[in-house]
Amino acid sequence: MKNIISILTCAMLLMLTACSIDEVTDPNGVQLATLLENAEIGDLNALVNGTEARMRRSWDVYVTSTGSVSRELYLFDADPRNTEDLLGKEGASLDNNTFYLTAPYTTRYQTVLNCNILLRALENTPEGSAAQKDGYRGFANTIKALMFLQELARLNTNGIRVDVADPENLGPILSKDAAYDAILDLLNTAYGQLQGAEFAFQLSSGFDNFDTPETFAQFNRAIAARAAIYAERYDQVQGFLDDSFLDDHSALDLGPKHVFSTASGDFLNPMFKAPQQSGDQIIVHDSIVNNIREDDARISKFRLRNNPTSQDDLNGDYELAIYESSTSPISILRNEELILIAAEANIQTGKLPDAVNYLNIIRNAYGLGNYTGPETEEALTDEMLYHRTYSFFAEGHRMFDLRRYGLLNSTFLPIDREGDQVFTEFPLPLSEQ
Amino acid sequence: MKQFTKTALLLAMLFVTAAATAQYTVTGAVKSESGEPLIGVSIIVKGTTSGTVTDFAGEFSLNVESSPASLLFSYTGFKSKVVEVTSSNRNVSVALEEDIANLEEIVVTGLASGIKRSNLANAVATVSGKELTEVTTQQTVDGALYGKLPGVNIVQSNGAPGGGIALRLRGVSSLSGNNQPLFIIDGVYITNAEIPSGLRFASGANSGSEEGASNRLADLNPEDIESIEVLKGASAAAIYGTRANAGVVIITTKQGAAGKTKVNFEQDLGVNVIQNYVGRRDYTAAQVEETYDADERAKFEAAQAAGEVFDYEKEIYGNTGFITDSRLSVSGGSDKTTFYFNTSYRDEGGIIENTGFDRFSLRLNVDHRISDKFRIGINSNYINSFASRSFTGNENEGGLSYGYNLAFTRDWVNLFPDELGNYPDNPNAAGNPIFVRDQTKNEERNNRFLSGANMEFNAYQSDNLVVKFVGNAGVDFLLNETFVYVPETHQAQRGRDNGFIGVGKNKVFNYNYQAFGIIDYFSPGGLNLNTQVGVTYLNFDRNFVLDRSTQLISQQTNLQSSGAQVVEQRIELEEEFGIVLQEQANWDDKIIATVGARFDKSSLNGDPNKLFAFPRASLAVNIANFDFWSSSLVNQWKLRVAYGETGSSATFGSLYTSLLRTNVAGNVGAAIALNDGNLGRPDLEPETSQELEFGTDLTLFNNKLGVELTYYIRNVENLLYFFDLPASTGYDNEIRNDFDLQNRGLEVSLNINPVNVPNFNWNSTVNFWFNRSEVTRLGVQPFVPEGVAFGLGLGSFYIEQGQPVTQLKGSSAEGPVTIGDVEPDFQLGWYNEIKIARNIDFNFLAHWKQGGDVLNLSRLLTDIGNNTPREFDNLTGFIEDASYFRLREVGLYYTLPKFSNTLQRLRLGVSGRNILTLTDYSSYDPETSTKGGTGLSTGIEVAPFPSARQFYFHIGMQF
Repeated sequence: MKNIISILTCAMLLMLTACSIDEVTDPNGVQLATLLENAEIGDLNALVNGTEARMRRSWDVYVTSTGSVSRELYLFDADPRNTEDLLGKEGASLDNNTFYLTAPYTTRYQTVLNCNILLRALENTPEGSAAQKDGYRGFANTIKALMFLQELARLNTNGIRVDVADPENLGPILSKDAAYDAILDLLNTAYGQLQGAEFAFQLSSGFDNFDTPETFAQFNRAIAARAAIYAERYDQVQGFLDDSFLDDHSALDLGPKHVFSTASGDFLNPMFKAPQQSGDQIIVHDSIVNNIREDDARISKFRLRNNPTSQDDLNGDYELAIYESSTSPISILRNEELILIAAEANIQTGKLPDAVNYLNIIRNAYGLGNYTGPETEEALTDEMLYHRTYSFFAEGHRMFDLRRYGLLNSTFLPIDREGDQVFTEFPLPLSEQ
Repeated sequence: MKQFTKTALLLAMLFVTAAATAQYTVTGAVKSESGEPLIGVSIIVKGTTSGTVTDFAGEFSLNVESSPASLLFSYTGFKSKVVEVTSSNRNVSVALEEDIANLEEIVVTGLASGIKRSNLANAVATVSGKELTEVTTQQTVDGALYGKLPGVNIVQSNGAPGGGIALRLRGVSSLSGNNQPLFIIDGVYITNAEIPSGLRFASGANSGSEEGASNRLADLNPEDIESIEVLKGASAAAIYGTRANAGVVIITTKQGAAGKTKVNFEQDLGVNVIQNYVGRRDYTAAQVEETYDADERAKFEAAQAAGEVFDYEKEIYGNTGFITDSRLSVSGGSDKTTFYFNTSYRDEGGIIENTGFDRFSLRLNVDHRISDKFRIGINSNYINSFASRSFTGNENEGGLSYGYNLAFTRDWVNLFPDELGNYPDNPNAAGNPIFVRDQTKNEERNNRFLSGANMEFNAYQSDNLVVKFVGNAGVDFLLNETFVYVPETHQAQRGRDNGFIGVGKNKVFNYNYQAFGIIDYFSPGGLNLNTQVGVTYLNFDRNFVLDRSTQLISQQTNLQSSGAQVVEQRIELEEEFGIVLQEQANWDDKIIATVGARFDKSSLNGDPNKLFAFPRASLAVNIANFDFWSSSLVNQWKLRVAYGETGSSATFGSLYTSLLRTNVAGNVGAAIALNDGNLGRPDLEPETSQELEFGTDLTLFNNKLGVELTYYIRNVENLLYFFDLPASTGYDNEIRNDFDLQNRGLEVSLNINPVNVPNFNWNSTVNFWFNRSEVTRLGVQPFVPEGVAFGLGLGSFYIEQGQPVTQLKGSSAEGPVTIGDVEPDFQLGWYNEIKIARNIDFNFLAHWKQGGDVLNLSRLLTDIGNNTPREFDNLTGFIEDASYFRLREVGLYYTLPKFSNTLQRLRLGVSGRNILTLTDYSSYDPETSTKGGTGLSTGIEVAPFPSARQFYFHIGMQF
């Protein structure tokens, strides 16, 4: 008897001690700790590609949210907030915790996170030459600055956070001015890093012509020019444009793009909706269609719907027709914008004839012939804004362009329903407060 | 498990090697009150370990040493009886009385042992197989528990046949993890996962939890169940340690009984019909013009003229689903071996055409005594189930979910296919529901094998000492295959994704074992000390693969016939090990005290080899068993108090911060997860729950009235929860644990036998319960938890110190304001069994839920789509009182007088479920959850699968 008990007790004790549970490493992803401690070139390149992939996300929401606010389009889909909150229906205000704010905001900062992981990984990796490391840094800092710029434009006087490298210890929310300073500083740092650097990574075909440190640096300067315009620091613009890919003679659509595909893990152009589809469609605001000039070739951006659409007491006859297919690329920043930036900077700095020259490039490209109106700052500003409206229709610019010139209000913009409001900026997300 | 312990007890008693000094032999027979011999009644000489059981004739013979001696007769379902014998009075005839109050029932409380209900210090709710399935045929096991157990809240998240049920025991216990209890069937830890099919990638639903997946308890055939015991809180479940925070449900399946082989065949025929229609907004031509415009009016009038104004709600939900359920069981055995075999097939059509559920189940339970000291039992169950659930619930522009698209569909638009079979596009919504009903698929097939083996070894037995070793091991293997198909011709697919196929291959493989040593010591003074020491181990391995294809070749339903494929895989590995110690002292059934502890370690914790302790202690005092008690009015009076702790580890993956695959036109990369990118914490410890429960049990008037009163206070400490990080970190959230929650509640159970006269017996059970929760500590500002609703704008759960965890808040100019609370004020279940003459059984179950709000976002959708019935025009806001009274189950059966020797019994019956519901709620069913069964999820409605009402005809034969 005693023996049996002691034998079984021993067996049990054996099981006890034998049962040591192994730590499980994450079978579903790349663990951050590994990247930070011992990244290989392949890991660094994965971070670069991940950055390029992520910055495309929620761009549709960015465009439709700012586009609805600035009355260039409506998004008619199943979510009522697209036609209620964004248009300020019946006293509604912009919510600080709803997708139209948080989806683009989050994805911008996820992209920043990827860049920051890349920057931290570079500090510990045994791999890569100094020039290659500068290449990664120039890339990461340029993209970070672009992300900051996109969100700062939406949040405007609410400011944004720029120092976000340590999630446990975030930097302060910078005022609008300080944030523009920081963005331009970051772009300059990146520009410096790109000089003499080497790219050990391969960007997608969307960056064709901008995939070397030299050409990527031109993209960096183009972003700086956009930032200077948004910041209304017009006197700085020309300097940035000089080193950018601004070219009077190149195609207007020259510039890096977001590309989309059906590859596993990739996704389709979210701005593309099947023609004539009901239920989920980006509808062009009637005022945009009504105000386009005769002969303006940009009317091809609108497609007449077989059935006019209405939702929530809003109506529209035209739908968005910018993208041909679900894998059409979306422009990030192109020559056309640089030309209009040049025109705007020249207007603002009093070089009106130069401004007219730039505007004529655009006018001629769309079949409108040379400018014949008065060469006054006011008239040319109107002309410039007209072109920005149609050149960048549904590309996430109009809200900021109108705001810059004090036009983002219900006096200038049509109010479709009694009680609707025009918002001028998005609130700081709840999670940041 | 009850059967298991009973058998164990028998065996312990059977092979007593009593010393042969001055002994005499007592013989006798044991019968029921109605005179039928009782087989297997356990007889024990009080104060010793010597005993025996009755044979096939109900007779026994037992050697007794002292004179006089007290013999204790006990038998499941009957009240125990003590009979005095002496060497001169050695022939006894005993009649046992049926135990209406279930005091003698053995309840499983430890991992390796049970205890008589009358000695139990916890309010353990038990449902017998009879209560489970006698009234009407049950679809799923969890659905069968509705209203039958106090303290158990059940919410059906999806009305589709084949399950989708959330069980909550004593309130919410976790925010991040599962609030579903642990399910153990015959010692096997089974998975009750809701496995999403990935249809969200076609429908645009926000997460897998919005897909309306069924929970896998649906695979179990309710007919196989002998009993279900529900350990509701930590005080009862502490011995289950780190998996028991949400309670434990212990299911025991049937065993054969020695004797004549019984063959049972039962056949049910039934129908599923919708419980109620919400209705559509009715329009006159003028109202159409007022709502829309003159063009729309013209369309309406044209449709009216052509007789083509439809009621699409009836068109979609108006199907009558036929149900057949056939069950054959064979059971029996010899004195060494008993078996139970059951095969069943259930086929059920839903209230939407092309939806349904079928389940084939095969079970064999065998119990065998190898030798005097060694017993082994094997339970095996194979299940093949299939469900076609179509598309319901939330979506975003997928054009699939019926309710969602019906909300925008106009009844004067013809959506039916033309002669060529072409379906028109729905001009007002993202999809045509008629097309979806006829042409799409959302199916799942489960192949599942559940098997457990248990053994018992009686190592040593003397007069006052028994040493046993018991062990069991089990596996649950599930292959779940999902298939979602949306043809390229669907209007939301055409021109973009051009069709969708999702094929999931999901494997779940659980195995567990436990081994225990049990020492029973009986002192001469009537004290019984029971010591248990054991170890448990479990291993869960889940591997979910989802293949998605888009850009389909026309009419092809094969993954590879497509232009674009995406593969996703998720692997989850969990391993746990525990040590259990328990000591129970029973002084003559007067005072029963238990102390115990479990020590667990888990790979889900930051340190996988750190042991966490979960203690328990309880005390039960049977006042009526003391000698001074001599009331004939009060048959039993017990005071009890119990305390225990349990835990719950973080969900798999919470320890890691990881980057996932991205792709830009073939350039593969890595980035934080797009949704729910968590900043992991490598040092996580389990959240814990401490529960103090006390109460009293009374039985009065010769056991005709039983009362159980229980009050509990349950503190959940260091709740793990995901908290939004500032989005600028790039992470969605981090996991935190500075959060405590308290649940308090009262549970009352009344058992009444108001009428018991010849030819009429009425047993009635009333269960009443409520729970109140309060957030007692919160280390952060009040917040909206992850993924439980659709933001404060529409109304959401809102975690705030000092407030119930179930409160709902909405936005206002002054900040978030309380708009509701999903916790019911109270619930009441009323179960009745009426037996008339010897052949008529009439049973019914009514359920009253008072209070508890639901956020009815279905009405938000119909408001936007101008489809809310005019009768609801006066409703403001979307919070509604979800009180209801429901006649859940009614059954009437007639057993024919015996007319043949082959056919032992023939029983005919009719029954129904959800026959009648009284409620002010404006939508289909006040019981709803659009976010499935996990977390804080119930009480939010978005376009659900409407609940069904069922009617059955039954025929049962026993050979």
